[in-house]
Amino acid sequence: MTDKANHDTSDRADAEPDGGAVASETQAHSETDYLTSEVNLLRPSTPFMRDHLRVIWTGFVAWAVIVFGPVTLTAVAPGAMTSTMPVLGFPIHYFLVAVGAPGGALVLAFWYARKRDELDEKYGIDHGGAAE
Amino acid sequence: MIDALVLQAGLLPEGLNVSFKLLPAILVTVMLASFLVIGYMFKVADTESMWVAGRSIGNVENGMAIGANWMSAASYLGMAALIALSGFYGLAFVVGWSAGYFILLIFMAAQMRRFGKYTAPDFVGDRFNSDTARAIAAVTTFLIGFVYAIGQARGMGLVGLYIFGDIGIPGLSGYQSMVVLMMAITVGYLTLSGMLGATKNMAVQYTILIVAFLAGLYAVGWVNGYSTVLPHIEYGQMFAALGREFSEPFVNGGYYLWIATAFSLIVGTCGLPHVLVRFYTVESERTARWSTVWGLGFICLLYFSAPAFAAFGTDLYANQIGPVYGDPGMTSAAADVIVVLAAQLSGLPTWFVGLVAAGGIAAAIATTAGLFITGSSAISHDIYKRLINPDASQRQQVLVGRLSIVALGVITTLAALDPAAPIAALVSYAFSLAGAVLFPMFFLGLWWENTNRQGALAGMTTGLVIWFIPMLNEVLPSYGLLAGAAGSDGVISPLLAQWVPAIGSALVAVPIVFVVTIAVSLVTPEPDLDTKRLVRQCHSPEPMNRQQAAEDVVSGDD
Repeated sequence: MTDKANHDTSDRADAEPDGGAVASETQAHSETDYLTSEVNLLRPSTPFMRDHLRVIWTGFVAWAVIVFGPVTLTAVAPGAMTSTMPVLGFPIHYFLVAVGAPGGALVLAFWYARKRDELDEKYGIDHGGAAE
Repeated sequence: MIDALVLQAGLLPEGLNVSFKLLPAILVTVMLASFLVIGYMFKVADTESMWVAGRSIGNVENGMAIGANWMSAASYLGMAALIALSGFYGLAFVVGWSAGYFILLIFMAAQMRRFGKYTAPDFVGDRFNSDTARAIAAVTTFLIGFVYAIGQARGMGLVGLYIFGDIGIPGLSGYQSMVVLMMAITVGYLTLSGMLGATKNMAVQYTILIVAFLAGLYAVGWVNGYSTVLPHIEYGQMFAALGREFSEPFVNGGYYLWIATAFSLIVGTCGLPHVLVRFYTVESERTARWSTVWGLGFICLLYFSAPAFAAFGTDLYANQIGPVYGDPGMTSAAADVIVVLAAQLSGLPTWFVGLVAAGGIAAAIATTAGLFITGSSAISHDIYKRLINPDASQRQQVLVGRLSIVALGVITTLAALDPAAPIAALVSYAFSLAGAVLFPMFFLGLWWENTNRQGALAGMTTGLVIWFIPMLNEVLPSYGLLAGAAGSDGVISPLLAQWVPAIGSALVAVPIVFVVTIAVSLVTPEPDLDTKRLVRQCHSPEPMNRQQAAEDVVSGDD
């Protein structure tokens, strides 16, 4: 394996500006050469990855709030958070962490998989099961 | 928290009925035998021939496989144990071991599927073009298998006491004898499954384990009048009776420790080698995604149940044996079998308690067998064949593989004879390691094409060092190493233990490893174009062939 010791980023062909985005994402997709588009989490280079990352970051933020929010709130305002819930009988913080966090992650996972399927549709990508 | 982790020298779960019981013993045997028989019947289901046979693993089935793969003694026994013992802190495990799957799903599952390398050493070696990186990943994989297995051995040893009683190996306590017996059974199981060529049928395994667990939960809830149809929610009514230690936040470990633990478990989930393998057998990235959703659902089924089980067990213990908290309180050994203990204290028939216990043992043995195989292949394939003896014959490799399984069995047994912590804590050390060393490599390797060999080497080394320091500080003294330097609480530096706890060291390690990897990658030459194209291919939305790896696509279309 040879190391190509260069720092130029000439191989980073920025995908066509999505100025006229209307045209059709499917077309944009077919015109994108994914093998020449840089992969950088913070600098998406193709329309598809821009859309995908928007979904990813939205999900990530929601996830962080669901998973770490209740614990943090409990540390900040223990009084309010430990009061007992009506009917269920749980202290609020316990319920939000024991049921809310794993359940929330599950719902988000479902949401993400749906969103990602919609993206496939938008870009005209067909996983088509067995079809080659 | 430290209190909860104090060494239990004799390790005898108080209240547990320790004697040989025929029916439960038969149940364990039947469960393990059915894993083997079904695995043998589905032998064709190894990846290559599966495609030939035109069979494909779908969302639900692969989701169950993810669940079965995931479920070890740590989930089955250890989680309820920590919740019973440490209350709200124990929930960090429920959250960490489930929520991590979402991160795995959005950042890694489909990309890993496309990359086409499914062992950690293969991924790291190929992505960073370095045999040294491969070797570090292989050593890490081996270490993860070892540390993870200690927790499993502890679980088997404790639950085994209920089923087989004190078999009394001279010179060893009842618990220690049971660890030796159980590890012998595990190695036997491994040998048998190797001889039969039995690929594990994970879907069946998942079904058996979850049925045993849920049956236990429902029966205990019903018999004692705790719950009827939905114990997962109904235990809310018990909080008033459970004592404030059960629910009060941050009494057994503060906010920082909670976050550190949950964070470590989350990144560990995304870095564990045996989790990644599950994306191998699916037919498309879409299936990789949906089966992760299903897998998380199947995991949640157990994880919603564990706190309820802990609540039932804690209440039964308090009513029939003694105060759970305070001095002496419930020992960590009793807590680790709280799931079985709850069934026994409910006066359920022996065969039924045995079913619950057998589920725990089967989960532990199956997981340990898997870990040993992964660990030994890291040694025989990635280190011995790739680095030490490239001309090794098949026979030599097999021999090295077998020897490393035996070595793993021996060191795991030794380490489990006098384990330093409860099951879940032991297992979480392995998660810290996976999170600190492998997760950053997977994440950066997939999401930043300029991550290069030098960056990976520097990052992984840093991760290993940061993981090892708290292990040296907190865990090794209880094995007699550097014990002289440790204070009366068994910790060398309490300050270090507070901020970089062994149980959650990845919270500190991951950011540092990211910074080191990125910085070193920036000041050293970029990776070659082939490698970059490999990464880009992992993000192309264009579907690939079923068994194609990104590598094939990249090299094929010039």
